[in-house]
Amino acid sequence: MLNALTSDLERYMDLLSARQKLVASNIANADTPGYRTQDFDFQTEFAQAISRTAMSAEPGPPLVSPVSGLALKNDGNNVNLDREARLLSENALRFSAASNLLRGQLQMVRTAIKEGQGS
Amino acid sequence: MSLFAALSIGASGMAAQRVRAEALTENLANAETTRTPEGGPYRRKDVVFQSASVASPFSSVFDAEMQSLGGTGAGGVEVAGIVTDPSPPEMRYLPGHPDANAEGYVAFPHINPAEDMVDLMGAARNYEANVAAISAVKDMIQKSIDLLH
Repeated sequence: MLNALTSDLERYMDLLSARQKLVASNIANADTPGYRTQDFDFQTEFAQAISRTAMSAEPGPPLVSPVSGLALKNDGNNVNLDREARLLSENALRFSAASNLLRGQLQMVRTAIKEGQGS
Repeated sequence: MSLFAALSIGASGMAAQRVRAEALTENLANAETTRTPEGGPYRRKDVVFQSASVASPFSSVFDAEMQSLGGTGAGGVEVAGIVTDPSPPEMRYLPGHPDANAEGYVAFPHINPAEDMVDLMGAARNYEANVAAISAVKDMIQKSIDLLH
C-alpha cells in the first residue's frame, strides 16, 4: 500500500480477520461431537507475513492446527466458550485499534492531497 | 473476504441451535403423548451436529475467479440428522385410559423433562454465543468500511 507501516497494518488486519473466522467457527461448533478447537500461532504467522511482505511476496494462509491443553468433554469436543469469548473481544479490539491507526495514515495522505487545506 | 465468511459461520451456528431448540420443545410438549401417526407413544428426538463448510455461492465463485488461497479449513455447523430415542416406553398402570392394553398398562413416552430443560438452556446459551460472534464480526466490518470516510 502506501508505505511499510500501512502494509504491516494491512497484514495485521488480515490475520485478525482469519483468526476471527476461526473463533466464529469454534463457537458454531461448540456442540459438535468430536470437534477440536482450531487456531493458529498469531505471533509466528504475523512475523512471517511481515517478512514475506518485505520481500514483496504474497503471504499464504496461516497454518491452522488444533489447540492443545483444553479439557476434553465426553463427546470428544474440546471447545471452551470462555476462551472463545475472550478471543472474540480481543480480536475485535485489536482490529479497531489497527483500523484507527490505518485511518490516521490515510488522513495524512488526504491532507497532502488537499495541500493542507481543510480535512 | 474472510470476515463475511465468519458471518455465515455464525449464522450456521444460530440455525443449528434453533433446530435443536425446536426438537427439545417438541419433546417437552409431547412428554405425555400416547398416540402418534406412526403408532404407539411419542419418542424423544435429539439433534446431532456435524461441522460443515459454509461458503456462500457468491464467495465461492468469486474466490475461484480470484484464485485466492482463502481455504483456511474454518467451517460452520449443520444438523447431521435427527435421531429418535429407541428406549422402551414407560408403562403406567391406568386401567381407565383409552390407550390401556389388556393388562391395564398405558405406554407413555420415556422423557425426562429436566434433561430436556437443561439441553434447552444449553441451546439458548450457544445461540447467544453465536449472536455475540456475529455482532463482533459486524463491528470489524464496519470499522473497515469507516476507513473510506
